[in-house]
Amino acid sequence: MQRIFQIDGEETECWLGHDGSRFVLNTPNGTVACQLDPTGLPGGYTLRAKGVVRELRLAVGPEATFVHMNGRTYEVGRVDPAERLAGSDGGTGDDRLVAPMPGVVVSVAVKPGDTVKEGQPLLVIESMKLETTLTAPRDGVVAEMPFAEGDSFGLKDILAQLAPEEE
Amino acid sequence: MTISKLLVANRGEIAARVLRTAKARGLATAVLSHVAEQEGPAHLIADEIVMIEGPTPVAAYLDIPQIVEAAKKIGADAVHPGYGFLSENAAFVAALEEAGVTFIGPTSETIDLMGDKVRARAFVEEHGFPVAPSAIEDDDPASFVERARTVGYPLLIKPSAGGGGKGMRIVREDSTLETEIETARREGVRYFGDGRLFVECYIERPRHIEVQVMGDGQGNVVHFWERECSIQRRFQKIIEETPSPALTPEQRDEICETAAGIARAVKYRGAGTVEFIYAQDGAFYFLEMNTRLQVEHPVTELVTGFDLVAEQLRVAAGEGLSAAQADIPQTGHSIELRICAEDATADFRPAIGDILLLDEPMGEGIRVDSGILDGGKVTTDFDPMLSKLIVHGPDRAQAIARARNAVQNYVILGVTTNTGYLDEILAHPDFASGDVSTGFLAEQSETLTAPGEDVSDLLMAAAALSDERLVSDVMQIPEMYRKMGGWRN
Amino acid sequence: MRRIESLIDTNAADYKANYAAMSERLKEFHARQHAARFERPQRDIDRLERQNKLGVRERLKLLLDPGTPFLEFSTLAACREYDGTVPGAAVVTGIGIVQGREVAIHANDASVKGGAWYPHTVKKVVRLLDVALENRLPVVHICDSAGGFLPLQHGVFPDRYLGGRVFRNQVKLSQANIPQIAVVGGHCTAGGAYVPTLSDYNIIIEGTGAIFLGGPPLVKAATGEDVGVQELGGAVMHTSVSGTGDYRAATEQHAFSLAREIVSQWKRTPKTIIETASYEEPYYEPKELYGIIPKDRKTQFDMREVLARIVDGSRFHEYQPDYGTTMICGYAHIWGYKVGILANNGVLFNDSSLKAAHFIQLCNQNRTPLVFFQNITGYMVGREYEERGIAKDGAKMLMAQGGSVVPKFTVIANASYGAGNYGMCGRAWDARTLFMWPQAEIGVMGADQAANTMADVKIRQLQREGKELSEEEIAAIRDPVLEKFRRDVEAYTSTSELWDDGILDPADTRNALGMSISASLNAPIDDPHYGIFRL
Repeated sequence: MQRIFQIDGEETECWLGHDGSRFVLNTPNGTVACQLDPTGLPGGYTLRAKGVVRELRLAVGPEATFVHMNGRTYEVGRVDPAERLAGSDGGTGDDRLVAPMPGVVVSVAVKPGDTVKEGQPLLVIESMKLETTLTAPRDGVVAEMPFAEGDSFGLKDILAQLAPEEE
Repeated sequence: MTISKLLVANRGEIAARVLRTAKARGLATAVLSHVAEQEGPAHLIADEIVMIEGPTPVAAYLDIPQIVEAAKKIGADAVHPGYGFLSENAAFVAALEEAGVTFIGPTSETIDLMGDKVRARAFVEEHGFPVAPSAIEDDDPASFVERARTVGYPLLIKPSAGGGGKGMRIVREDSTLETEIETARREGVRYFGDGRLFVECYIERPRHIEVQVMGDGQGNVVHFWERECSIQRRFQKIIEETPSPALTPEQRDEICETAAGIARAVKYRGAGTVEFIYAQDGAFYFLEMNTRLQVEHPVTELVTGFDLVAEQLRVAAGEGLSAAQADIPQTGHSIELRICAEDATADFRPAIGDILLLDEPMGEGIRVDSGILDGGKVTTDFDPMLSKLIVHGPDRAQAIARARNAVQNYVILGVTTNTGYLDEILAHPDFASGDVSTGFLAEQSETLTAPGEDVSDLLMAAAALSDERLVSDVMQIPEMYRKMGGWRN
Repeated sequence: MRRIESLIDTNAADYKANYAAMSERLKEFHARQHAARFERPQRDIDRLERQNKLGVRERLKLLLDPGTPFLEFSTLAACREYDGTVPGAAVVTGIGIVQGREVAIHANDASVKGGAWYPHTVKKVVRLLDVALENRLPVVHICDSAGGFLPLQHGVFPDRYLGGRVFRNQVKLSQANIPQIAVVGGHCTAGGAYVPTLSDYNIIIEGTGAIFLGGPPLVKAATGEDVGVQELGGAVMHTSVSGTGDYRAATEQHAFSLAREIVSQWKRTPKTIIETASYEEPYYEPKELYGIIPKDRKTQFDMREVLARIVDGSRFHEYQPDYGTTMICGYAHIWGYKVGILANNGVLFNDSSLKAAHFIQLCNQNRTPLVFFQNITGYMVGREYEERGIAKDGAKMLMAQGGSVVPKFTVIANASYGAGNYGMCGRAWDARTLFMWPQAEIGVMGADQAANTMADVKIRQLQREGKELSEEEIAAIRDPVLEKFRRDVEAYTSTSELWDDGILDPADTRNALGMSISASLNAPIDDPHYGIFRL
């Protein structure tokens, strides 16, 4: 299973395996057979790897692991690559806001040419007795706002259009 | 007057340190705390915790009426200010006096005098003690630039109201003098709300040597020898030691007597420190006097065997000094390391984080004055100094060895600290030989922050094997498949 | 269990000659396999890159747990068809590990004819889904196909085991509560649209993935509507409007990490428990198999020497060691799993058939999976044996073998001729997996016998017509027939036609069996029951 480790700002993608008798960390530079055994001290471990044995103290934070070894303290950031990807959003945002149902425009918050941030309200619509605020699907520049306050619109009408993203 | 209940108007390691002595002397004790503050060692020692409020925690600790009120409310008859915050605030001393509460420290007049760099300097000069050639703007603003020129180059421009190195500028050529003066003035206004300046001659590769003094307020003053504080980053000390490796016994006596003389001249009461700038040729000049207990006071305690806080409490209680000068020894060597939450490789940027694991060194000749507890949180609300590691050894080499061993075993996990950097300084040959100046850390910054041996594979292995989710994901793969590895047919 | 005592002398001349011959064969096999996996015309590689798609091997790498094996099926499917232009039949299938679970994988290889379905593609996919059904393995479909290859539509579409069977099997999987997920990394057009839509979950990769019954050109032709790929069946439309798609992924990496996450949500069904022991590597080196298998197939060899290089610790408990000795039966462990092994040490006689039938029943009674090692030229013929009832004894063996409820696995180690193939669990007998070694042959009889038989018929016919044939004329009749037969019985023909699940390097047999056995335990084992044994 993979992890991206960050040490001093450098990222290394690794995966950990276990061949039945020992763990093997696979790094881009090769494999490291390794073993970590508690010593009984709080956070105390003996690490065996690359032919050396090191006593270390270790604490696992939510995003980084802190290691005290050889009189030095190190911070190792940990990222699950899958989580990084999942956090990267389910696909790029759409350029358009399409009406989810017919309704009336209650208010319009932006005009063409405005720069908007993802999640910024663009307009408020009313359908089925409910007001809904529609927000920018991504950062960008507003290209068109085809409807004004009070206008009625139909299903799938385009309510807002962002300028295409530059590559 | 007697003191039976002491309020410590401070926090962190110094609050804990003062409280320990106060309790040992049988006093009832209380300490301030702000709601945003983490529990620290002081909270575990004090008999009472007094909550203070403020828009920021620091603002609360600077709130004179609130703290005076707190002292009255809990019936404290004395307040120990620690260092920083209100420790050198004459208005605070006056307010306490008015409330009938004893301030553990000098009089407000002394604080006022020594708090104004220009007046303090003039006072010292008048009494015949050495000050560096200088020019003070206030003396005659119109001729300030001309007088500055006569000091000679290189020279140092300082804000009159300054401290902590802020707004100081070195000028090496006459052509830049006037623009640098203007820049320094703007910085003075920005940092201290006061644009007044003075210049003094700039000592190349100076050392910072200071002397601990203690007075009874009646003109009796003893010194507790010197401290060398040349290891500074961004004009702030991070390693202090005593004795200074730079001084001969004669120089030592001279500088210590000078300090005691200055203190006598103001009829100094309580603990104070006279700071000198020490030139490579052995000349030294008065820099300033700090009218409080210094951060680095423990090194003095370890070589003299005196508890300076106890001395402060004696003096404040009117019991006078406990020892004559001849009874104050200087035995062995002591070094203090300031453990700070900061990133030495990123211009000492303060670091924050949760303390996930704390294991402080212990043993013979090792003292830790700590302001943190395991499980605590380091925020930007306060100074990044977390604790102090002080060691004592028979001689300097043994003290350094002990300090290195102790700092290497100082385990603070969860927040970036300077322990490794401190160890690099201790390991530096120039530090070992004592050949340092206040510019040492800046000059050696690349050597001191150079990356060490590449242990990234070991670190990643440790991080991987201690990642429970990762390990459980791996071990969920049936054993046969783990053994087959990446087999393909 | 006792260790088999090997009598092989690895310094002997014949061992070395065998080793050299097998090494040569394997060199060729691995070269062919490499070509089938990776060698593509530049334009196909360029096209994938232009379309911003990853190749199927990279996709598998993203899907599978790192550091785990992948048992690939039929790597050389269709190698003797379509002039060799459809390597692997344009699809990759196999069993892999995702989040610690065994899954069956069906992945189109868009670098071959755009992932089009050829007749052999369909056969390979149907086989994979049969494996999934038999073993109750969840399926990951990686869809990227141009659709059925129209010029060969009769070989793709209409028959019982052709295209429709893919979808029928998907339905059966779902009905059996076996989850499926489809990652749509290319177009799924017409029938292909049902692969993701019949899956429990599907993920569409934005930009490259699309699902529609008719693509834009067909829509234009049929109704005149002008519509682009994305509007017609792109990720955004399907995941936000039609609900045909479940998840849309920004990139291939995103898609496969989502797929892994989804697989980890599935309920883990406890596996069937069989006898196991802690695992042990074979005591004898598996690569010594190369020197044991004779370079001349007619040379007899002791199958125990083969077993000693495949089973745990080279340990084997032999059943009836002194009876019916041409049939070796006994227990061993493979990767810790207890199995019953049936291995040929010569032609099948009455006693060897009865021994096999009895042993198979023992294994069924014990819930012990069966592994067959074939080196069989057939059941013994001749008056003596017919009188002893060789046909009915053979029938008993078939009844026991065919009626088995335990999972069965077959390795065609050398010869697989005639009814021996049936008795020893040939393709028709539902082995969960069936692999061939590269020098093995399969046919009603050996190539020489078949060629001679056919040539003799022809020669006798000509002689009856009064023709005197010279040696050359006889050779001219026999040789082409012989050549054709020799080719037809080769492992490459079998594997091209998917009569097996692939050719194996003999040294890989242990792992292939370990994975097959482990996968089979996802399905329950029924109580033993049989038909009528002719006594």
